[in-house]
Amino acid sequence: MGDGWCTDTGESVYRSRDAVKNLRIRVRIQRVTSTAALSQHLHQQVLSHFHGVSDEFCFVIHMQYEMDLYQTESNCQTPLERQYHTEIMGMERSKRRQNQRIFTYTDFDRFSKWEEQAQSLLIPAQPTPTLLAELYLESRLITWEPSEEFIKNSHIINTPVQTMYIMGDLGPSGKLGLKENEYVLCTIKSDSNGVITIKPDFNNNRGAYRLETQGEKREVWRLYLENASSHIRAEEKEREQRMYRDLYTRHKEYLNSLVGQDFEMPPLGILRLIVNGEIVSAQGYEYDNLYVHFFLDLPNNWSSVPFHCLSGVTQTCRTHSEDVAFFSYPFSFETFFHKEDESDGSLPQWPVMFFKVLSLDFWQRYRTEGYGFLVIPSTPGYHRMTCHTWRPLQSGTVAELRRFFIGGAPELEDISYVRVPGTFKGERLSRFGFRTQTTGSVTFTLNCIQHARAFIDANTLKKRRQTVLDQLGGHSQQGSVYNVLEAFQRARKRMQEARETLPRDLINTS
Amino acid sequence: MAELHIIGQIIGATGFPQNSLFCKWGVHAGGAWRLLSGLKEGQTQVDIPQTGDMAYWSHPIDLHYTTKGLQGWPKLHLQVWHQDSFGRCQLYGYGYIHVPSSPGQHRLQCVTWRPLGSWQDQLAEMFVGGGPQLRSPDLIYSGADRYRLHTVGMGTVELELCVILRHFDRYGVES
Repeated sequence: MGDGWCTDTGESVYRSRDAVKNLRIRVRIQRVTSTAALSQHLHQQVLSHFHGVSDEFCFVIHMQYEMDLYQTESNCQTPLERQYHTEIMGMERSKRRQNQRIFTYTDFDRFSKWEEQAQSLLIPAQPTPTLLAELYLESRLITWEPSEEFIKNSHIINTPVQTMYIMGDLGPSGKLGLKENEYVLCTIKSDSNGVITIKPDFNNNRGAYRLETQGEKREVWRLYLENASSHIRAEEKEREQRMYRDLYTRHKEYLNSLVGQDFEMPPLGILRLIVNGEIVSAQGYEYDNLYVHFFLDLPNNWSSVPFHCLSGVTQTCRTHSEDVAFFSYPFSFETFFHKEDESDGSLPQWPVMFFKVLSLDFWQRYRTEGYGFLVIPSTPGYHRMTCHTWRPLQSGTVAELRRFFIGGAPELEDISYVRVPGTFKGERLSRFGFRTQTTGSVTFTLNCIQHARAFIDANTLKKRRQTVLDQLGGHSQQGSVYNVLEAFQRARKRMQEARETLPRDLINTS
Repeated sequence: MAELHIIGQIIGATGFPQNSLFCKWGVHAGGAWRLLSGLKEGQTQVDIPQTGDMAYWSHPIDLHYTTKGLQGWPKLHLQVWHQDSFGRCQLYGYGYIHVPSSPGQHRLQCVTWRPLGSWQDQLAEMFVGGGPQLRSPDLIYSGADRYRLHTVGMGTVELELCVILRHFDRYGVES
């Protein structure tokens, strides 16, 4: 024939939000014979119609041999096949004209299974657990005998795909119903995400597709595929959009309702400080197998929740490259500040964390490796800090020899000596005569959160409090001046609001 | 109630003895916290870097929490595992890190450690792999029993987390 064939039979992918059962395709096959003008014209329309179960893609057309097969009830094995049986019986009774040549197969048929299996993406690995693995079977993290289902779900991106094959029976017109004359005209794959893959694509004004039959009589057929789905009507589209909008607002309201309104607040006049942090690592120490023993020291006016543990010991960690020991030890403190004595004008003291680094060796000897302290920052936020440590030295070699051979090193009796001893009352601290040696450093990360009722007023007035004193709600002279200013602002605001409610002409005349 | 959004990714891991790594992660928060949307635990793919030392996962984390109080701020726990060419999985490290409480973008490094057994175990480990694991990683959160563990430091996991806080300032929380 003179007209051009379309040789591009690649598949094309369409996306649709609509259910796939609304897809309609018009398939036309036309045998090409020498008498082209009088060619036999087989124009048949394949329509997919609804078949009970929700979004399923069930076919309608049965080929002749299937009709014979399903007519005898004993042949029907799956419930689906039984369904076909009832349909066919129905059709027989109504004596509707059947499409003789075009029919379809879908997933559930005995046809498509073998093709699908050849398409699996990965060969699943089936490791048998070795003796070693069985010994270390403490963890329940790993499934040692995964089932086939589990492997498929974990290894392969498993989106369920439904496939429909539109077949044509291209045998000579006397001999319909033979399996060897079946050819795949079109493959339609649809998955649950609304992606529809059609191979070959719709003709769309390109030439016809060419089909050649095998067998004794090699015939050439023309194939035309058209998209005959109906478009959505305007009012339906409007209804759909309204429905989506309702759905989104309802979801938003639901989320809002989950969130709720209450929040745990500290009592009035109290600042709550929450520190979430980690002891990250220790570096640069002489011996190995380090651990850190730390506690939080609360100065006056600071209190804590009873039974709340303010100290801890990390695990013992062996150093690896570059003498670094990783602890990754999270801790969390919650403390409250309440200024009892308002006349005392001194700045509040922030809590201090004291820690000591020790090493433990194979024979359970422990040695002090260093003492250090860390002042909790007064600004909230994320802080990463490294603290250097020192250890006390005793004069003479005996102490060092003892430390080397049998362990045991001079320790501080009162660890707060590291900073300012708790018993210190004077003006000048003298550490004359105390000998130390610098040792390594410890890294901490801290997240500080400060919580107080006073901050609510600050934020509503949109003022950032600069000094620490103000943050406590104004317990000083400066604070009281500020309080007066605030009261003035509030009164002014109230007056302005009251003015707005008055009728306009009254204000203008006054 | 206040809301917390954690949006970020587990970028990858570096500094481990071998390279073919995957990570099991989870977020653990206190009783006052409720997860509104997002998956609070997961497992990354196994990554074998061709060049360089860092194994990249780029595993997304997208969580939406709501809370009635400040206790029990969410913590992220990580377990880094190594899968060798025979398909065996070996524990390479545990790591714990608090989710930052200040809003903004944070680039975090979470260091990891691995428990050590007796010297016989360590010798066996050198030849056939394996190694002791924690019976239950949850015991670690309380911190009370940690001192009994003998561990060795392993590599570092890099994370990038963006924290968005909502309504915390309404209740007077500064962070």
